[in-house]
Order: sequence, then C-alpha cells, then structure tokens
Amino acid sequence: MKGPITMKIFQGYRRSQGLPGVRNAIAVIPSVFCANTVARRIAEHVAGALAFCHPVGCSQVGLDLELTARGLKGVGRNPNFYGAIVVGLGCERFRPSELAESIASAGKPVETVVIQDEGDTLRTIEKGVILASRMAVEASRQPREEFPLSDLSLGLKCGGTDATSGLAANPVLGWVTDQIVAAGGRAIFTEVTELIGAERILAGRGKTPQVSDAIMRTVGCMENRLSAATASREVRHRSALISPGNEDGGVTTVAEKALGGIYKAGTGPISGVVGYGEDPAGPGLYLLDCVGHDGEAVTGLVASGCQAVVFTTGRGTPTGFPGVPVIKITGNSGTFDRMRFDLDFDAGRIIEGAAIPDVGADLLEKILCIASGEPSRAELHGHDELFCVTRI
Amino acid sequence: MAEHSCRGERDNMAKALKINAKDNVAVLLGDVRADETIDVTTGQEELHLKARQDIAFGHKVALVSLKTDEPIIKYGEEIGRAQEAIGVGDWIHLHNLTCRRGHENQE
Repeated sequence: MKGPITMKIFQGYRRSQGLPGVRNAIAVIPSVFCANTVARRIAEHVAGALAFCHPVGCSQVGLDLELTARGLKGVGRNPNFYGAIVVGLGCERFRPSELAESIASAGKPVETVVIQDEGDTLRTIEKGVILASRMAVEASRQPREEFPLSDLSLGLKCGGTDATSGLAANPVLGWVTDQIVAAGGRAIFTEVTELIGAERILAGRGKTPQVSDAIMRTVGCMENRLSAATASREVRHRSALISPGNEDGGVTTVAEKALGGIYKAGTGPISGVVGYGEDPAGPGLYLLDCVGHDGEAVTGLVASGCQAVVFTTGRGTPTGFPGVPVIKITGNSGTFDRMRFDLDFDAGRIIEGAAIPDVGADLLEKILCIASGEPSRAELHGHDELFCVTRI
Repeated sequence: MAEHSCRGERDNMAKALKINAKDNVAVLLGDVRADETIDVTTGQEELHLKARQDIAFGHKVALVSLKTDEPIIKYGEEIGRAQEAIGVGDWIHLHNLTCRRGHENQE
C-alpha cells in the first residue's frame, strides 16, 4: 500500500455546488424520444458532447412518467457533466423546461432548443450545435484539481454473476466501499430484485430502526412485484429470477446471488434508502430503490450522483455509460484473459489465496486513476448501452 | 484414501471452499470428475470427500447428506431447499435444489 487511505486523492472538475465531476462532458438530453435524432446529430457534431437518447417522455402517466422525469433530471445533474443542452419537441408531457430547470438548479449551464419553436430539424440542429460548441469550449478551459476521497460517490453494481463474484470480486469491492465510507465519501448499491434472501442481513446493518424498516419494506415490495409478475400460468416459462449464465456459472437461486452480491456493499452501517433519481442525504452507504437490470440500475446510480460505477462480473460484460466510467472487475481470471479489452481489473488472485486488503488497495488505486482521467475499458470502446430509463 | 495414495494424484486434487462454518455445501475452485477426491478448505479442519458426479468450477458439492426439503446453506444462510435426498459428494444444482423466494404464487 502506498500511503494511508485518508490521504488518497483524485483529480476532478470543481462544480459551483455539490461534488466534483470526474469527467467534463456536455450532456445533450431529449425531453422526449421524438427529439432523439436531433439530439444525436447535435452531439455527433460537437467534440465533448454526448447524446442521451431514450424511448420515453410522452404518453405516460403517474409513477411511470414521474420515474422518467426523475431519471432524466438526475442524469443531467450528475457532477460529471459540465453543462447540458435540453432538446424538446414542444408538445410532450415531460416539459423541456422542467428538465432544464432541474439541471440548472445544480448550478450548471443549460440551454434549451425546442423543435416546434425553432421551425424544423435543420434549424434546431444548427442552433443546438452552436450552443453546445460554445459550452464545450468553456468546459475545455477548466483544469482538473485535487480532491479527497470524501468527495467521491461510488456506484456499486454486478452483472453476469458467476460463483467467483461472491468469492472474490464482490468481497474486494466491499473492502473498497468500507474505505471510501470511512474516509467520508459515499457509496450506493441497488439491484433490489437481487437482494431477495439477503434482506434480513441488510436490515441488521441499518443505522437506525427506520432505515432497517425501509430496507425490509423496499425488498418486500420488490418481491411482491416479482411474484405478481410471474404468477400467471401463461408466462410461467418466463419466471426465472436469475439468468442462464448465472446458473451455468454455479449460481442456482436468487438468494444465493443476493448473498454473494451484498459483499460489495462492505460491512458498515447503511445510512438510508434513496428513491430513484434522488441524491443521498449525505456521506455514507446507501441502498437505491431500483431493479437489477444493468442499464436501469447504472442509470439510477448516475441519477443519484455517482461519478463512477464499479461493476463486478464473473461471466464478463463490455457495457458502459456515456460520460461516467463503469469500471469492470472480475474474480474469474479465465474471463479476464478472454475479455482483456473489456475488463479493467482482475481480482482472481483472491481465489488463489491473495489477501483481500492487498488486492483491494490495488483496486482502489485503479479506481482513483480512472477517476482522474484514465479511460475505463468501456469508455475506450465507446460503450454506452447502460443509459436506460426505468419503467413501471 | 487408499485409491488416492499416488503422489501425483494428491497434488492434482480438486479444491473446494466452505465459505461459512454453518454451510453444508462447498464451492469448487476447479473442475472435478466423478470419483475424484475433493480437498475442502473449511477454515478449521481438513476435509476430503469423493465427488459423486462431474462438478464444474464454481459449482457446489454437498458436505453432508440432506433429506428432501432440508435447507441448503451457503454464506451461512439458506439459499434454497433440497428437492430430493442428497448424498455427501453430490453436485448441488437446479436439478436437486429449489427456492420459492419471489415465486409465492407458484406451486
């Protein structure tokens, strides 16, 4: 280990309020899917701009529309974005002004272009490109500065789980989680669909009885949702709660997956449960109420302010998120060898007997290097599949 | 152990890990063939048992015999129930383990 954990730093971008960013992109966000192509063309035209195309924003009601709103607003407010261009159509239910005002409330520059106001596709793209270019030039003048570990908010995720995930990758990530929380930073875990069977252990770690109750309630609601969704005879063949790849990798039940999965949340107290699109109240370890779908969960973590996501995978997955590093670690050295250009860190030596704190110190170094600007493997390849607004 | 007294075979013995003292299964750290001996790391005593089927890396082997509906314990917690009688050294997987969690309405 190179020096005490509390002295660890990363190089990030200062924001006028809240946590610093670890990337400095311009987010081009459509308020409705009808504006997707215009948003994509604007982002394609401007170096440093990223489009967030999605299939929602209209013809939705109630909680479903509310989750869309919270997700898009939260992504726009994420500290990794210098500023945002909101692209609207004009008649959609999720108003472009609501999205723009929420992003501006995080102290960021925001511009809005609305297709029905500008006239047509060409005029809207032209105006959007001019605004995004101006913003990208401003962003390029901003230097990276040093920040302590307490300014880091790390998302915790697993996908493509096999038996090594619970033996190596998740325990070593849990060690990192404990260090970051002890240093005054924050860490958020989620995938409530895959916590079934581990809820009593998690509730026992609630900081207060209210937090413990909230954890039991959150997992209970999700289990009821799954039971209802799989109850009909017609869809009984679609009732598996884990994937065939998990099973081939030696993981047989949702409870077994859950018990191996929660290691990544370390051993410390859980400070609270956060709703989709909400920021945690302060430093500490939090549970985000979101499903286990890789895209919906990572989008939820980003919408709750995580600047980076550490993603454990035994089977191996190449996916990434635009503007937010998704750092892949595996406990399966065979998978690491096969997918060398998709995975960032091999924790497989734990299976051979290496001590978790030794491997954990190396993992923390890797995370801080990537936070400081080294591209993750998913960023090198331009992977962006994980942006995916949750539906209900 | 008579059938495994040859030194070379002892060195190649498959390893498995019992994660928690309460567990009644261990996780294979390498592939094992039927009738080969598995060397189980328990954190306490040395344990050796014979695999009754081929078992792949990452999959589970029974450390004790289990009756139908007895809990299967890994990480110190119940991950499911035995669907049939299970013997020491049996591969534990979807064919002999069941879990009702998230499937309350199904029989």
